[in-house]
Amino acid sequence: MRAKYLKPAILATIYIGLSQWSTFALAQNADASNLYKRGLAATCANCHGTDGKGVVDGGMPLINGLTSEQMLTQLKAFKSGAREGTIMPQLAKGYSDEQLEIIANQLGKK
Amino acid sequence: MDRRHFIGNSAAALGLLAGFSGQARANLQKAEILVIGGGYGGATAAKYLRLFSNNTAKVTLIEPNASFVSCPLSNLVVGGSRTLSEITTPYDNLSKRHGVKIIQDSVASIDTDKKTVKLASGKTLRYDKAVVSPGVTLMMNSIEGLAQANKAGVTLQAWKAGPETVALHKQLASMRDGGTFAISIPEAPYRCPPGPYERACQVANYLKQNKPKSKVLILDANQDVTSKGALFKKVWAEQYAGMIEYLPKYNVTAVDAKTKTVKFEVQDDIKADVLNLLPAMSAGEIAVKTGLANANGRWVNVNFLNFESTAQKDIHVLGDSIQIAPAMPKSGHMANQHAKVAAAAIVAELSGWEINPAPVLTNTCYSFVNEKEVVHVASVHQYNAAEKTFKTVPGSGGLSPAPSTLEGVYAWGWAHNIWADSLG
Ligand SMILES: Cc1cc2nc3c(=O)[nH]c(=O)nc-3n(C[C@H](O)[C@H](O)[C@H](O)COP(=O)(O)OP(=O)(O)OC[C@H]3O[C@@H](n4cnc5c(N)ncnc54)[C@H](O)[C@@H]3O)c2cc1C
Repeated sequence: MRAKYLKPAILATIYIGLSQWSTFALAQNADASNLYKRGLAATCANCHGTDGKGVVDGGMPLINGLTSEQMLTQLKAFKSGAREGTIMPQLAKGYSDEQLEIIANQLGKK
Repeated sequence: MDRRHFIGNSAAALGLLAGFSGQARANLQKAEILVIGGGYGGATAAKYLRLFSNNTAKVTLIEPNASFVSCPLSNLVVGGSRTLSEITTPYDNLSKRHGVKIIQDSVASIDTDKKTVKLASGKTLRYDKAVVSPGVTLMMNSIEGLAQANKAGVTLQAWKAGPETVALHKQLASMRDGGTFAISIPEAPYRCPPGPYERACQVANYLKQNKPKSKVLILDANQDVTSKGALFKKVWAEQYAGMIEYLPKYNVTAVDAKTKTVKFEVQDDIKADVLNLLPAMSAGEIAVKTGLANANGRWVNVNFLNFESTAQKDIHVLGDSIQIAPAMPKSGHMANQHAKVAAAAIVAELSGWEINPAPVLTNTCYSFVNEKEVVHVASVHQYNAAEKTFKTVPGSGGLSPAPSTLEGVYAWGWAHNIWADSLG
C-alpha cells in the first residue's frame, strides 16, 4: 500500500475520470444495445414496414396500431399456437420470448 | 499491490478510452461507405446504414440501372397477368428521404490495397467500407452454345428482371398453340430455389387460357424439386394436368440455336419452341473479379456476424453472392435481412462498439401457382456462436398447407412492403 503518495488533486482527477468512464461505458452499452434492438425489430420490416410502419392498403396486416402489450400478446399467441395464421405462427416459433418482448417494445405504438 | 502503479495505468487507460471514443464517433461520420449494387441487398444496406447511424454515416450507392425492377413477382409478367411497371420502383427516395448519395454507374474494378473503386465512367472513389451486393452472374459458358443462342435472341433467361422478362412473355405470346415451352434448372445453389417452378406455373396458367394444346417441360438438373416440392407437384397434377411435365436429373449440357434442340448429360435430345435455359450461377461478376469468391471460385465466404468477406477486410458482401449457411435460400427477402445485419455491424464497428453477437434473419418466399393463389415457405435463422453460422430454429418455419388466395393478397403485401423497406 502506498496510498500516502497520492495527492488529493490526483485522487480527484481519478474519481472524475472513473465516473466519466463508467458513464461513458454505460452510454456506449445503451447505444449499442439500442442498435441491437433496432436490428432485431428490423427483421419484421420486410413484411410490416420500416419501424413497423407498413404500406397502407398494401395487402399486409398493419401492426403499428397495436400497443407493445397488445403486440406481445399476439406474438406469444402465434408462438404457442393459440392464434392461427399463415406465416406468423411459423415465424414466431423461431424467436425466444425475450426477443419477442424486445420486438414488441420496439414496434408497439408509443 | 502497488496502487500508484494501478492508478497510473488506469488513468492512462481512461485517457486512451476517451480518446478512442471520440475517434470512433468521428470514424462513423468520416468514413466513406460505398454500396455497390442497388438490388435487394444493396438498396437496403444503403438505407439502413443511414437509419442505424441516425443519418450521420456518409453513404454512396453505385447502381447502373435508373430504377429497381423486382425479380420477385416478375414471373407474373412472364405469364402476362402483370406488367413490368407494376414491379418497378424508383431509386430517388433513397436520396430524398434518407440522404444516400446515388451514382448511376457501375463499378469496373476494386483495388483492395488502395481501397478504391473504379467506375465504368472512369472515375475513382475511395472507400473505408465497401458493401458489395451484385447479385448473380449467369455462367453462360456452362451450357455449350448458350451465349450464341442468347445473343441471337433465341434463348432468354429473364433471371434478372427487366427487358428480358417482357421479351420472354412476347415469345410465349407468339408461340403456336400446341407448342412446347421448356425451362431448365441448374444444380442448386442458384438464385431463388422455387423461382423456376413458379415460372412453370405462370407459363402454364397463360397457356391453359390462351393455347391449351401446348406443353411446359421442366428440365431439372436436380434430383427432385428443390423447394415446396409436394405443393408444386400437387398443383401441377390438379391445375395443369397433361400440360406440365416434370423431368428430374435432366442436366443440360448444350443447346443448338438453329434447331432449338437441347442436349443433356444422359438423356436424348429435346426440341422446344420457347427455350428458357437457366445456366449455373455464381456470385456477381465484380465479386468474382475482385477475388472475393473464395468458395469454389463461385461464391463469397463471409463472417456471418457482419457479412465481411473472409478474403478482404472492410468489404462486406450480401445477398445472392455469398456462400450460404445451411438452409439459407438465395432470396430477395434474405438479401434484405443480410443488409440489416451488416449495416448494424458496420455502424457498431465504426462507433467503437462491440457488434451484435446474436443476429437474427428470417426468410419468407411466396410463389404464385396461378395469378391469384399462392404458397409460401418461411424460416427463422439464429446465429450460432459455436459454429459461427446461422441455423434455422427447430420447430419454426414451414410451408403453406395448400395454395390460397389469402396468401395471394399477402404476397402482394409482402412485395409492396419490402420495396418500401428497401427503397422507400
Ligand atoms: C423469377 C424470380 C423470382 C424470384 N422470386 C422471389 C421471391 O418471391 N421472393 C424472394 O425473396 N426472392 C425472389 N427472387 C430472388 C431475388 O430476386 C434475389 O435473391 C435478390 O434479387 C438478391 O438480391 P441481391 O442484392 O443479391 O441482388 P440483386 O437484387 O440482383 O441486385 C444486384 C444489383 O447489383 C447491380 N450490380 C451488379 N454489378 C454491379 C457493378 N459492378 N456495379 C454496380 N452495380 C452492380 C445490379 O444492377 C443489381 O441492381 C426471385 C428471383 C427470380 C429470378
